[in-house]
Amino acid sequence: MPDRYPGYSVLAKRDTPSWNEATRQVVDARLAIADEPHFFNPQEWQTLRAVCDRIVPQPSNRPEVPIAALVDRKLADDERDGYRTSSLPKMQQAWQQGLAALDAAANSRHGTRYHALSGMQQDSLLTAMQHGELNGPEWHGMPSATFFTERLVHDTLAAYYSHPTAWSEIGFGGPASPRGYVRMYFNRRDPWEAAEATPGREAQACKANEHVG
Amino acid sequence: MPTIRQPGAVALGVAAIGIGALLLRNRNTATRRPALRDAEPPPTIKAARRLNRASGLIATSTLLDSAIEHYRGSFHNKAMITPLIASALTLVVSVHGTADKHQGAHRVRDPVYLAAAVTGLVGTGFHLYNIGKRPGGFSWQNLFYGSPLLAPAAVTLSGLLGYYSERLRDNAPAGPARVFGLRAGRALAALSSLGLLATAAEAGLLHFRGAFHDPFMYAPVTVPPIAAALLADTALGHPEPPNRLTCWWLRLTAWVGFVGAAFHIFGVHRNMGGWRNWRQNVLNGPPIPAPPSFTGLALAGLAALGLLEEHDDA
Repeated sequence: MPDRYPGYSVLAKRDTPSWNEATRQVVDARLAIADEPHFFNPQEWQTLRAVCDRIVPQPSNRPEVPIAALVDRKLADDERDGYRTSSLPKMQQAWQQGLAALDAAANSRHGTRYHALSGMQQDSLLTAMQHGELNGPEWHGMPSATFFTERLVHDTLAAYYSHPTAWSEIGFGGPASPRGYVRMYFNRRDPWEAAEATPGREAQACKANEHVG
Repeated sequence: MPTIRQPGAVALGVAAIGIGALLLRNRNTATRRPALRDAEPPPTIKAARRLNRASGLIATSTLLDSAIEHYRGSFHNKAMITPLIASALTLVVSVHGTADKHQGAHRVRDPVYLAAAVTGLVGTGFHLYNIGKRPGGFSWQNLFYGSPLLAPAAVTLSGLLGYYSERLRDNAPAGPARVFGLRAGRALAALSSLGLLATAAEAGLLHFRGAFHDPFMYAPVTVPPIAAALLADTALGHPEPPNRLTCWWLRLTAWVGFVGAAFHIFGVHRNMGGWRNWRQNVLNGPPIPAPPSFTGLALAGLAALGLLEEHDDA
């Protein structure tokens, strides 16, 4: 996939008026998260990591965003969303049940645990979950399609896009506080915004991105 | 990705100022009457020079304001450089005119002033077009956040006041002072009055957008309109001499313009990040160069009063 924002790193804004101390502390804490579980047991952690790799495959030319660890901390801190689909149990319980049920489905279909399956097998199980085709006592009445949409995809994507690496990838400037945006009209750009590369103008975008901050 | 050619714009502005200065040096004084040395210049010349000063002050305001606002607009349309050139040239010729005691219109100043007046009119057309093409058209939202409708009118005003000063210089030292067949002093009072009203309307719109969060934000929507009313009274008051109150109220208005710039500097500081975040807040906060337009118009009004007091038939 071409780099849409060549040369852009949101972290270049760290010590500029774009970010304040509160923002720096939050982002620093997020970057310091170790790629290890605090909430999940080792089996759940293996399954979660395998799921994250299928939902958000990451390029090999940069350090990976620790999606599983970010989801894990959300659960360890029990940082709930403030709303919940009534057919799902509370966040922590839903994740534990869902990962256990996914492993059980892998065992019954392929005779091995989820993380040991091939990529195609893993995808077909996730697709079955998405279509609500995974049932069984391990689900405790939780609809697998709802778990897929409301928890699994929701939490893994939110975790990925909460990380500065993902912000740099999509040209996002991070929290707009204290510095917001001034040129709020189509195709206008503030000097502290990422410059998007249009085909043939990658070098110009790269040069502009050197001065973002 | 739009590119901002800031150095190019600055270079163009400097070049415009340089060309203006050169043109002024090459003036042909043989066609104009000599300066009245060692004698009090006639009231028309004194008023003309005061008007040059007023025009120059407004041009300074519009030069800085359009530079900041059009930089914010990334000079998206190439024509957005025009008010910078027009205002820079107006400023140069106004400085020249302020020092010039000669009778008769200057052959460079005169067309520059006229061009500035036309530039402002064309700019108003562009700003109308910009507002109209935004989703929602002529809604309050777009009047607040689109191109400011009356800002180019300030360029017109500075050009018009300068053009007026050249017409004043066309008058013979003795005899009635007339501009376009009108009594020069009274007509100038009327012109300044209209200018003050238009500028107060612009300030009113934008201060309403700012919810009048500071009580001093009422100053530009109260003091200048009263000055405009007093000037209108002067304009229609022939043959009565101008009121002393008008003079003092215009001085107050001039002061309000300068203090307004100071308040706007404070306003930038009040925005998130303050002056440390100036790259955002100078654009996002209150426009610092805008309020001195009131000062310029008040000076034009004072020039009218001076002419009425010093001239028997103006």
